[in-house]
Amino acid sequence: MKRVFVFSLIICTMISMVFQPISSYAENNTDSTNIPVESRMALNYICSSDSLLLTATLSIKKGDITLALENATIEYSASNGAISKLLGKATTDQEGNAVFKISSAGLPADKEGMVSYSAKFPGNNKYPAAEANFIAKPAKIKLFFSIEDSLRLMKVTATQKNENGEDVAIPKETVNIYVPRLFSLLKIGEVALDENGTGTMEFPKEIVGDTIGNIIVMARIEEHDQFGFVQGENMSNWGVPKQYYKAEVPSRELWTPIAPLWMIITLLIMLAGVWAHYAYAVYELVMIKRLSKKNKPLF
Amino acid sequence: MNKNQKNSRRQFLKKGLIAGAGVAIGGGLVAAYVDVSAAETGEKVKVLTTDGEIMEVDRGLLKLPRVSIAESHKGIPGRKFVMVIDLGKCKNARKCVEACQKGHHLPQSQEFMKVYLLQDSEKTAPYWFPKPCFHCDNPLCVSVCPVGATYKRTDGIVLIDNERCIGCKFCMTGCPYSTRVFAWKHYPEFDEDKEPYSPEASSPGKEGTVSKCDFCPDLIRIGKIPYCASACPMGVIYFGDVDEDTVTNGTETLQFSKLIHDRAGYRYLETLGTRPCVYYLPPVDRQYEVDRGFGDLEESVKERYKDTPYSKKNKQ
Amino acid sequence: MELEQKNPLRDFSPQLERTSILGYAWIVFLLGVIGLGFYAFLAQVYEGHEVTGMRDNVVWGVYIVNFIFFMGISYAGALISGTLHLFKTAWRKPIIRMAEFITIIALLIGPCFILLCIGRLDKLHYLVLFGRIQSPITWDVIAISTDIFGCFIFLYLSVLRDLATLRDYELLQLPNWRKKLYRLLALGYTGTPEQQQRLNRATDIMAAMVIAIAIIVYSVLAWIFSVTLQPGWHSTIFGPYFVIAAVYSGSAVLILCMWVFRKIYHLEEYITKKHFVAVGVIMLVLAAFFGYFTFSDYLTKWYGSEKNDELLIQLLFKEFYWPFIISNYIGVLLPLLVVGIAKLRTITNITLTAIVVVIALWLNRYLIVVPTLESPYLPIQDSRAAWLNYSATWVEWSLTAAGVAIFCLLFTLASKFITIVPVTGLIKEEKKEDILV
Repeated sequence: MKRVFVFSLIICTMISMVFQPISSYAENNTDSTNIPVESRMALNYICSSDSLLLTATLSIKKGDITLALENATIEYSASNGAISKLLGKATTDQEGNAVFKISSAGLPADKEGMVSYSAKFPGNNKYPAAEANFIAKPAKIKLFFSIEDSLRLMKVTATQKNENGEDVAIPKETVNIYVPRLFSLLKIGEVALDENGTGTMEFPKEIVGDTIGNIIVMARIEEHDQFGFVQGENMSNWGVPKQYYKAEVPSRELWTPIAPLWMIITLLIMLAGVWAHYAYAVYELVMIKRLSKKNKPLF
Repeated sequence: MNKNQKNSRRQFLKKGLIAGAGVAIGGGLVAAYVDVSAAETGEKVKVLTTDGEIMEVDRGLLKLPRVSIAESHKGIPGRKFVMVIDLGKCKNARKCVEACQKGHHLPQSQEFMKVYLLQDSEKTAPYWFPKPCFHCDNPLCVSVCPVGATYKRTDGIVLIDNERCIGCKFCMTGCPYSTRVFAWKHYPEFDEDKEPYSPEASSPGKEGTVSKCDFCPDLIRIGKIPYCASACPMGVIYFGDVDEDTVTNGTETLQFSKLIHDRAGYRYLETLGTRPCVYYLPPVDRQYEVDRGFGDLEESVKERYKDTPYSKKNKQ
Repeated sequence: MELEQKNPLRDFSPQLERTSILGYAWIVFLLGVIGLGFYAFLAQVYEGHEVTGMRDNVVWGVYIVNFIFFMGISYAGALISGTLHLFKTAWRKPIIRMAEFITIIALLIGPCFILLCIGRLDKLHYLVLFGRIQSPITWDVIAISTDIFGCFIFLYLSVLRDLATLRDYELLQLPNWRKKLYRLLALGYTGTPEQQQRLNRATDIMAAMVIAIAIIVYSVLAWIFSVTLQPGWHSTIFGPYFVIAAVYSGSAVLILCMWVFRKIYHLEEYITKKHFVAVGVIMLVLAAFFGYFTFSDYLTKWYGSEKNDELLIQLLFKEFYWPFIISNYIGVLLPLLVVGIAKLRTITNITLTAIVVVIALWLNRYLIVVPTLESPYLPIQDSRAAWLNYSATWVEWSLTAAGVAIFCLLFTLASKFITIVPVTGLIKEEKKEDILV
């Protein structure tokens, strides 16, 4: 008997294990000692005209699965190799992003003006620490609008600060021109900067702005070895006014909440006609009843 | 002889019972050790807190805002949404179908986004045809609803209010594109969604009511494009505001009027007069041949297309 | 001298007073079928509409077919009673009550089938609370409620005289509560000239109204289909087509009722071959019209050979071949032959033809609803058989049987409540030579 019991136990355990896919983790059981847990950090950097935006994205990789980590505190610091300055802290949202904005002044820069930014997750008892770096030099892009020979032009200038703190042009770069839209940025052109750090482009004709034609235009240098991402914006009112349908009076169609007037009128007339006849018939019946009270039965 | 038979029978029964007990215990042991529920599909996204607590949330569906039913009748102000589908890039990967089903907590048998294998005529080429709801500007489904359960908003989106729907299915016969689906019974997937119902999320579904693709207004409100558009690995589906003249598939952002002009965009069955808001780009310069669409499919999905002219031709 | 005159009520009172063993057995049988239907209904409520054969493409099946069919039968009253009343034809008298009962009972049962098709019955009152005037279903709700009310009034007006007669007939052996009911419902009608005048006026008006309403109701029902864009439904002829088919089916059911009650209650003296021939001729004329409309519809679809029309016709001739032949060929030609050829014109033949016509028209409705839904603009690309082709399940058939059983039951009970042939008119008509044309 014992043999049978043990034997069947072993057999069925083996069979069950074949047919049950084993998950790499169980709920509320975060530490499986044989599955490696990695923390991953990514750091994005955008340099605007007056500020820097540092976006850190923290995720945890367990086996094959990568998950965003929410509510983690990320420490930002900037250094030039020698001095390190703590910039501040931010907490990740549910997508693992922590956004941090600082001014571009007062940052420790090295001899070439490069600043090393880092975002650090100190780690806790569950997850290891993670860090990401980004090295870039602050720069500035300016966007101007002008009309020359009845042509609408956009002029872009890119500058950086030299050792004396003066603005020096950035030559021979490619600047992409964008218009911010609902979900993303729409690229409307590209400008090549000359030796003086300036470039010009004709303003495209059919770009839709807001209802009165105002449009924000953004110029960006992207993925530059030295400058990272640099952007500058300006507002123009050369956009085509956006036309969207806004009814003064609610429309009456087949698919609107209120029916077309002719439908309502037709229906009411028909119903009134029919039910008036019904009312007449019922009236006659009532009169028959009334008459019977007066008469004696003849039949 | 009898005694022997009896004995052997008793022995057999005893052994059988014990074997059965062993099976039960063994199976139970394994089940307790393995987390069966998490192993089912494996594609759920879990958000970790710093304490290591896992909150289970569907992929992409991260605490989306849910507006009330009354609020959902008003469209997102100043917008008119449109979708552009590039038939030249579609290879029936069906990631759009799956992402939509996960995002809306749909069972396998309900698909808001359907992918057809169409061939317009005998000598024209077959192509894969993803079809969401077209959110028509002259929606017949809205016209025929007797109780006003489905409505068109100012931003062009046509939504369904489950609470109002009586399940008469007139809208399903009214739609010439076979877009709407009906909940023929209570699917367990509906119970996954614990949030309050909102027509903008089309979730949780309700037995006996109609539902359909909703252009994901809950995602739009946080600045994201619908599940299908972001899930497509080929970037087939573009989404945007037509008044702003821009559509994006998550990777590329293009000017809508230019796209339609350059690629000769059209609307499906234009002559029906429904004025749909989904434009198609004809499959010129295809990236993939049609048979790539049969590549990784499950058998039950492959079987769907067995009566199409393309499949019949290839059998010969 | 009047008292010595033969009182036909003596012939009819047994119907009202007694029920034979066979009658009770029949009622028990009907209750059994209705019980089965109720069980099927509970299955549908608990397990969801999945127990029916309907799926995402064929969303309307046997329930809607039954709805249209019963609504169509209800036209019998409008035609025979209403139209013939306005034309003052004398031979209509023995059969008008049957026709009006058919109307009312069918009008009560038809909408119940729609309710079976509705996904959320607990929200039904939204049709009234939030009804949208632009929707054909709202038009239908308004039209059917108006129709039921109108037909009730019309029925009441025509039984009023008999209620008075029954109230006054002292030899009637019925429980007191029934006699009291007759007194109450008879509204003190005593046959005075003034009362008769009022009654006649009301009946004339209602006869005209009932005809108009019936046409409107059935057209609205047709428009539910024809205003959609579905290939096969989007046909301009649907309005008149449905009206003609309705009248046609109504006349066939009337013949069946005439035959059944003639046999059971031994009414051979009152319902003669001439009546069968008269209604048979109506059926013949309507068969011709029905055939004409059907032919016109399919000829237009076939000749123009628009892609989806062609697909539909192919489907009809392949998967639905026999139903198509029965409903559109046999259902049209048989009445033409049987009633048209003098030798074939017997009561039995005409009744058998009526049975075939009823079946043919039910199939005709099925062929209108289901094949179109099986051939939409976007081809159904699915691997599940139930989603590709519609086949009704036991739930739907049980409920269909229950619907027919309720029809028969209500009819049986109605014939027990009041004489199935108007009696008052017969007493007067005894003086005239020939009550039949």
